[in-house]
Amino acid sequence: MSTTTTNKLPVDIITGFLGSGKTTLLGNILKEGGFEDASVIINEYGLAGLDHRLIRRINERTTLLAGGCVCCNRREDLILELNDMLNACQSGELSLDRVIVETTGLANPAPMLFSILTHPALMHHYFIETVVVCLDCVNGEAHIRDNQESVKQIAAADKVIITKTDIGTPEMADNLRVSVARINPTAVILEAADGIAPRSIFTPAPVSGLPWRQTPAPQAKPGKPEHTSGVRNIAIQFDEPLDWLAFGIWLSMLLHKHGEKMLRVKGIVDVGEKGPIAINGVQHIIHPPTHLDDWRGYETRNSQIVFIMRDIEPERIMDSLMAFQRLIGAHPEIQEINMNPLA
Amino acid sequence: MCVLCGELVLNVHWTDQKAHDLEYGAAGGGEVQRNRRRDRIRRVQYANNILSFYGLNLADWNGSKYILSDKKGNQKIVGDLGEMWPEAQKACGRGLDPLDPALLEYLRAQDEHVHVHHDHE
Repeated sequence: MSTTTTNKLPVDIITGFLGSGKTTLLGNILKEGGFEDASVIINEYGLAGLDHRLIRRINERTTLLAGGCVCCNRREDLILELNDMLNACQSGELSLDRVIVETTGLANPAPMLFSILTHPALMHHYFIETVVVCLDCVNGEAHIRDNQESVKQIAAADKVIITKTDIGTPEMADNLRVSVARINPTAVILEAADGIAPRSIFTPAPVSGLPWRQTPAPQAKPGKPEHTSGVRNIAIQFDEPLDWLAFGIWLSMLLHKHGEKMLRVKGIVDVGEKGPIAINGVQHIIHPPTHLDDWRGYETRNSQIVFIMRDIEPERIMDSLMAFQRLIGAHPEIQEINMNPLA
Repeated sequence: MCVLCGELVLNVHWTDQKAHDLEYGAAGGGEVQRNRRRDRIRRVQYANNILSFYGLNLADWNGSKYILSDKKGNQKIVGDLGEMWPEAQKACGRGLDPLDPALLEYLRAQDEHVHVHHDHE
């Protein structure tokens, strides 16, 4: 493992619309044990209420940075709280092995990632372990259809939990799975009946992060009204190793110009070394890339990168990579395109 | 603290994470420094393939910073790619877009030039 995550405390972010069951889910997980030294930061009190030793309530306070876009906001409330915890932990007042942040229903996870990953102190003490999004089995489709924020949350998710499957029908859950997979092919999708999910929802997803290969390619649902959200995704594969320096130039240039529209970039990159590099980005923010020691767990040695974007045609990403291929050193190939996942 | 220039580095841009990890990792010595130096030179070359389209040029400065200059002789010191793109945008007065068909055409023309050059050799 690289030095990027060692000696840092994991932060898990759990989000989802009001009524999506995130508080119930969290409450049940905390009861399971093994979370005695976890601190929980919540933005709002849900009806369920949480019973845990260390609940801290914060009020969302966002600082818009000069020239910043929506994702590059600083969540001062979160920074303050995480700093306090760190101080308490270092002075021995608090034993802390994990922080779980439960957000308000409408929260975009990007500013939280930005706050932690770019803060001069926090970035050295915390890392983002997982972003979990709860989606209500019965109302999930409507949220996805009507709310841009819901789509952004799903795009940013490492794991999507379909909740309330005890209330909805199996068909509803299946349809929702398809919808989620078509927005974010990298997300691990789990189901939780009666608000019970395994505690493993907080263990990081495999860094390959491309579980769409294990599930059949989602099919368009017939009979649904056509509706263009502008959200699309493309999975691109490179069979030859990439030049990491050139790829870094290309991706940083892309995110500088189009970061607001690039809802997610996730994948593994073969740079011709012993192991691949795992990349993971939400809008303008890229997690510190993880350098893996070897290719264990991967069937083939290649690069696979998924881009989820709004209002950019996937072909333009492909065209750009084609033109940059001499610099990048490898020829891109399209693995999968979802042109209109919400149709 | 940056071991080379003595400057306080608070933020590591993601494109520098690998170099940063190696430098602060267990292994090291001259090899790491040489690779780091080589990588910086290559990065500057690659960046200039793109920046030349906008009339800009990047140069390594002491192995610790980069100097971005335009054709009028204006110069700006930048620490990493995260700082470079916004400065480049300011310097040429427009966004630098890797999806811009005109830039892609320019890069393809460079490729042809390289091919022709190789054919003559």
